Amino acid sequence: MTRRLGLVLPILLIIGWEVAAIIVNNPFFLPKLETVIPVLLSPFSDILGTGSLVDNALVSIERVVLGFALAAAVAIPLGIGMGRFAVLNDFFDTTIELLRPVPPLAWVPLALAWFKIGIVSIVFIIFIGAVFPILLNTVDGVRGVKNTWIEVSTTLGASERQILSKVILPGAAPTIWTGLRIGFGISWMCVVAAEILPGPTSGLGYLIMYAYNLGQINVIIAGIIVIGLIGLVIDQGFRAVEKHWFGWRGLER
Amino acid sequence: MKAMKITAIALLALALVLVLFTAGCTQPSGSSGSTAAPPANGTVGILETAGVGPMPSLLATRQVDGYIAWQPVVEAGVESNVGQVAVYSKDLPPAGEWSNHPQNVFVVRKDFYAANPDFVNDFSALNLAATQYINTHPQETAAIDAEWLAGGQNFTYGNVSVSSVTVVNNSIPTIEFSNNPTDSWKASTSDFVQSLINLGTVKGFVANSSSQDAVLYNFQPYTSATAIIASKNVTTTAPVQNTVGVGYLNAVDHSALFVAVKNWQYFNDTYGIALKPEDLTAAKPSVADFLVNGRKVATVNLVPANAGPNLMQLAATNSIQMSYVGVPPAISAIDQGIPITIAYPIDSLGSGLVVSNGAPVQDWKSFAAWAKTRSDAGKPLVIAAPGKGSIQDVMIRAALQDSGITVTEVKV
Repeated sequence: MTRRLGLVLPILLIIGWEVAAIIVNNPFFLPKLETVIPVLLSPFSDILGTGSLVDNALVSIERVVLGFALAAAVAIPLGIGMGRFAVLNDFFDTTIELLRPVPPLAWVPLALAWFKIGIVSIVFIIFIGAVFPILLNTVDGVRGVKNTWIEVSTTLGASERQILSKVILPGAAPTIWTGLRIGFGISWMCVVAAEILPGPTSGLGYLIMYAYNLGQINVIIAGIIVIGLIGLVIDQGFRAVEKHWFGWRGLER
Repeated sequence: MKAMKITAIALLALALVLVLFTAGCTQPSGSSGSTAAPPANGTVGILETAGVGPMPSLLATRQVDGYIAWQPVVEAGVESNVGQVAVYSKDLPPAGEWSNHPQNVFVVRKDFYAANPDFVNDFSALNLAATQYINTHPQETAAIDAEWLAGGQNFTYGNVSVSSVTVVNNSIPTIEFSNNPTDSWKASTSDFVQSLINLGTVKGFVANSSSQDAVLYNFQPYTSATAIIASKNVTTTAPVQNTVGVGYLNAVDHSALFVAVKNWQYFNDTYGIALKPEDLTAAKPSVADFLVNGRKVATVNLVPANAGPNLMQLAATNSIQMSYVGVPPAISAIDQGIPITIAYPIDSLGSGLVVSNGAPVQDWKSFAAWAKTRSDAGKPLVIAAPGKGSIQDVMIRAALQDSGITVTEVKV
């Protein structure tokens, strides 16, 4: 029932869009559905010589997964350390809060100079976008683990290593997972920024910027819709895992 | 503690109000020669946009009254029924000033040329051969460009869908493709440098040099390439160890590269020099092998960017070693001390001023009259130009000033 209710607004938005496009009657403001749908309905055919929607989506997903995985690999261990040991937190916190507000786009010129043209600079931009939400959620998750659990395990003679792996990590997992979910969403947002970099000749972000340079609004909108749909599907996946594995969190409260 | 928090929030709110207030107050403001009395010949506002892509949309949504751009955006505006060409760049005033104005050049990093002179000369010979081919086969060039730029598909502007081949086909005759650094080309480029100095965008090495030619140019690759083409005899050069990066823009101006890559077999058979794409089916190949007498000499990365300054930044960090690029980014790069040199021109002309359909404009004179009418009516024209210091920006400012029209900058 709730699933169906969630579809009502998108359908209304689509109808509203078409009605507005007819009333406005200026395709430069708002192109009609008819110009965008053909692009979406032929996802395997080439667009402006940049490859098909599917090709470009796969390339973008690959880059996002790489950047995201790297961010998780850095942020989760660091976050656990910072959450558990105050000295690590004091050491890193100021620097992280200094870097966190910098938009990934601002790093583009430096990324190009440091990592040269290619996959590394793209992955770097996505990494920057994803690393902070994962890190902060991990820190929060570790700190949120009930003190009584830790005290009980200490009393029972658990080593620091056992406490980390058997108590803290499982206890913090739901919050870390939320961080991963948010981080992946931001990585996906960063793909456009990362693919503006000179060099790439594929990817959804590249396709949108290429279409922008040629003033092809229907392709831009098609690209936006595909980015949105893929983001939605991935988020549903994260939520399904959350519900299945971390359902206990709701009960425990 | 609580009081401190409240103070901090209050300060933040105050700062926000101030920022919003000042942002809301920015308006078109006179930048040059603004006096109390209204200017006799009216004013025109220049809106600097990043690149030319959005210009037809800006014109169609009446956010500007016209735009000055490079190809194919001039013809795209016409073909999509958004606007009409008021004047091509060669006919902009002052009379004769822009009759063969420089547009794009080929630049090479100095250290790369010093280390690989034969490779650069051979690559230049391919550029010269490709330029000849463009001039003798304009229609085939249009088809190749359309394939490169749009996969041969239609452009969609609003409700109008136009063939990319048609758009490029109409663009090519407005551009002069030549690699010869003639005296008139050099003189025109010097005028241009002077304009950039006057605008304040060039103020470093080039501006302070006693011999601008020595700072800007090294035509040796052109001279050597001419000899190679004349003899049709190219000697096989030593392989280049590292991958070579060559920058370009997705513009009709850089047709020489597109033709060289897409027609690699022809150049291989005719001159023994070729840039063979590794993926023969790609519309926009990104890696190519440079062949001399059938032997691979280098792997070449073809690096596209959205604008010339990006390419020059890549050259600065040695991410690319050579580039097709517009004259202004090349001059600015050299002015800032980026170690590149201009080896030869790629093309001249090829810009145009497009105004909305129905505007009472047939040429520059009627445009100037329209500008005065609109200015007198209190609604000065707004013209979009692709970035301060671009060729198009410099030309439209010079033309307006020559006609006694005051130029203002539209601040957003």
